[in-house]
Amino acid sequence: MKMEKTFPVFAASFAIIYELAVYFNWALFTYHPKINEWQFLAQPAKNGPPMYWYGWLVTSLLGAIAVSLVSYPIVRRASTQFWLGWVVPIVVGVIFLYLFRSFFLH
Amino acid sequence: MIMYLILLHGLLAVVLLGGITHQAVAVAWPSRSKSGIANSYRATNSSVYTNANIVLYLATAILGGIIYPVYRVGVRSFLENARLFAATGSFELKEQFVAVGVGMLPLYWLLWNRPLEDGAKPARIAVTLILCAITWYGFLVGHVLNNIRGLFGL
Repeated sequence: MKMEKTFPVFAASFAIIYELAVYFNWALFTYHPKINEWQFLAQPAKNGPPMYWYGWLVTSLLGAIAVSLVSYPIVRRASTQFWLGWVVPIVVGVIFLYLFRSFFLH
Repeated sequence: MIMYLILLHGLLAVVLLGGITHQAVAVAWPSRSKSGIANSYRATNSSVYTNANIVLYLATAILGGIIYPVYRVGVRSFLENARLFAATGSFELKEQFVAVGVGMLPLYWLLWNRPLEDGAKPARIAVTLILCAITWYGFLVGHVLNNIRGLFGL
């Protein structure tokens, strides 16, 4: 029941870790769709484009769970900081727009 | 097979659009009166949509993940060769926004299934509007890319 108090922290940390995972390519695994092969961690292309999205998602999920668990002793006593769960994702979204701006500036 | 999955992905997205848009309008612009179609639309009991929206969001995202390799190998290469960089970038943003939305789902569930505490009401409105915006963006980008050869006469 009290774990629910970590949900805003989970949303915020998931968004931040996901952004870092994309930027630094912290994929927990790589999928090579053309040869249907999975590899541990981020790997370079092999016969066709590699896919990191699944790996980024799992990295973020595990990271956000870890941050939520670590923050639990603090947040269970404090009032729930709901704003974290929507302000941080908005900021992360804006940073993504900035990071991907080159696609739209051609 | 992949065509059926793309169709199913699109149909689930349409149902999700209906649910999340109705909920977002009702929470951001509520009405007590039920006179007329617009007021009735705004006066709905929006909490009933929550669990269905979460299931639909996850199902649509998982299906999108299953059909994603087809896009990555075939469609993205075509877009790059056709120098449609804005289309490629729109899809890149879609995948990032959808992922951020996945992380917000537990909070979304909490905000709609528990009594409102201090600070929860603006969060409920904001989280619902963000998920609604992500859904609309994802749907429109997916729809345009799915039909890009016809739309751009390629």
